[in-house]
Amino acid sequence: MKLFIANRGEIALRIIRTCRRLGVRTVLAYSEADRESLPMRYADERYPLNGSMPAETYLNVSKLAQGAVETRCDAVHPGYGFLSEDPRFVEECEGNGLTFVGPSSRTLAKLGNKLQARSVMKECGVPLIPGSDGPLGSEDEAVELATRIGFPVIIKAVYGGGGRGMRIAKDADEVMRFFRLTRLEAASAFGRGDIYIEKRLAAPRHIEIQAVADRRGKIVSLGERECSIQRRHQKLVEEAPSVALDADLRKKLTDVALKGLRASDYTNAGTVEFLVDRNREFYFLEVNKRLQVEHLVTELTTRVDIVEEQLNVAAGDSLSISQNEVEVVGWAINCRINAEDPRRGFIPTPGTVIHYHPPTGPGVRIDAALYSGCAIPEYYDSLIAKLATRGTTRDETIRRMRVALEETEIIGVPTTVPLHVELMRDDSFVSGEFDTTFLDGFVPHLNSRIATYAKLAAVVAAVEKARSPKSWGIERHRKQSTWRAAARTRAITGS
Amino acid sequence: MKSFRIQVNDESYTVSLEQSGRGRYQATLDGIIFDAEITSNGDITSWRVSNGSEDVHAKAMNLPNDRVDVWLACMPFPATVQTVGIGGYHVPTESRAKSVGGEIRALMPGRITSILVKEEEDVIEGAPLLILEAMKMQNEITSPSNGKVKTIFVHEGETVKKDSVLVSIE
Repeated sequence: MKLFIANRGEIALRIIRTCRRLGVRTVLAYSEADRESLPMRYADERYPLNGSMPAETYLNVSKLAQGAVETRCDAVHPGYGFLSEDPRFVEECEGNGLTFVGPSSRTLAKLGNKLQARSVMKECGVPLIPGSDGPLGSEDEAVELATRIGFPVIIKAVYGGGGRGMRIAKDADEVMRFFRLTRLEAASAFGRGDIYIEKRLAAPRHIEIQAVADRRGKIVSLGERECSIQRRHQKLVEEAPSVALDADLRKKLTDVALKGLRASDYTNAGTVEFLVDRNREFYFLEVNKRLQVEHLVTELTTRVDIVEEQLNVAAGDSLSISQNEVEVVGWAINCRINAEDPRRGFIPTPGTVIHYHPPTGPGVRIDAALYSGCAIPEYYDSLIAKLATRGTTRDETIRRMRVALEETEIIGVPTTVPLHVELMRDDSFVSGEFDTTFLDGFVPHLNSRIATYAKLAAVVAAVEKARSPKSWGIERHRKQSTWRAAARTRAITGS
Repeated sequence: MKSFRIQVNDESYTVSLEQSGRGRYQATLDGIIFDAEITSNGDITSWRVSNGSEDVHAKAMNLPNDRVDVWLACMPFPATVQTVGIGGYHVPTESRAKSVGGEIRALMPGRITSILVKEEEDVIEGAPLLILEAMKMQNEITSPSNGKVKTIFVHEGETVKKDSVLVSIE
């Protein structure tokens, strides 16, 4: 197999790593802004996309399919985001004789967008959140429906994914305003601006079931992930398993998730997302028809390489694992490190990483495409690193995360690290008592952490100015380059 | 003992220092004692700072004039440092505070996807002025105050740099 990677950054590198281990040749598509990115070093071949804007590069269906054909690839891995769930891209790949690493166009015809997924799940008897049956034609139609089901509502892009293209509206005015914004964002990010509405549940937890299915009828659940720590529908922390599920509820969610996926002849990796309320009632949210950002916590608890299983399925082989071999061991937590400024409402902060030193050690995994000097382009997502830890218990995993966060050095762009530092010390998070609204009330905690840091920074600024350059022994030692010393020794001894 | 006036995040702190060993200092801020120790020396210096309740690693870059960039928990804390002299403080050589007046600047680089107001239009505080797309997000840029749109400096589809002036309000 030769694989074309229609994505960038950490996920491109993540896919390449498995391919290199398996001996699968890779071709990496790249934009001008990504010319010097880390995955470029490890792909076997590189295919230029010309331009940097997403629309002309990683969202360009024909350019990417053409690239895969030109480089004689058999299969295309879309990663997450971009075209990973776009039926037009799947059709374009299939039409060119390429295997799309994901569900088939036949499945997407049944499950392709969020509204279709709702109706499939409804037929399987899964409870739905009250909302639209079809896309909304106008602001007025949206206001009418929202008034009927009751505020607040969530305005969603039918073709959206990854938490993008979603906004909460508290009243009719906001529906009018956000309808247009969401439509613009959806058209730009997903290529289509169709919009629908769902009622917003009060304080639910977000829990999802990860599954993989091959083309021979075998489907396997890899357990659940808890993703309730979200800011504006963007997951920031994910973990596996979830403290909110007992064996009974876990079985119920797993059963309906697999039933829904079977009903749509689902193949490859997929996730069924649910909202679970305080009364332990659950509602279908979405199907994610791709490899997800947070897949690594499942890999850490099940020891399954999900990308490898995706490639097995794409090659027409069976899954290498059976349901009775899947065992969820211990706990795993992932912190998404985004290039965003927590002091300025988490605005994206593209720039250059001038220094990078990742944490490591037992039970630590970091998926990133960073190096000292690398660029964080303004054109793409702000996720720059995923820091995950694993432990026997949740408590051990959290403690390990605290240590790993302390060791993380990313200098040059502000990041969400302070949020994670504070979160890992927070009593509610540590005790597992939280829901999707948790982060809304967390900003004061974060601000007090930042104020503490500002004081410590003042101390550092003072000592840095005060110190004499010769105040420390290493300075003199460093004056002579070790390379120069070695060269001189070699010149004298002739060796 | 040396004293410094430090400005971080628009807050001022007075820090007094005493060297307690090679590359080691004892600092006092708001009556709290901190121990600071240099852990590596280079273009970027590493420090370990602790008091009773906090123990952190920090990076510092000594910049020209009175500036020091400090990084803590992967977040920047740009600081200005003035040695406290006799009869008051030294005048800072450079002020980091930005006086924007009625100018609305881009907080981040991106692309203007739509302009929602016209010149001469009256706007109220919080009114959406334009939409700046950056990192796939549509960011609504709103008016900081009540007023009239004086000049629109950008057009739809234009790519703007960080801090470039977008709109002026009077």
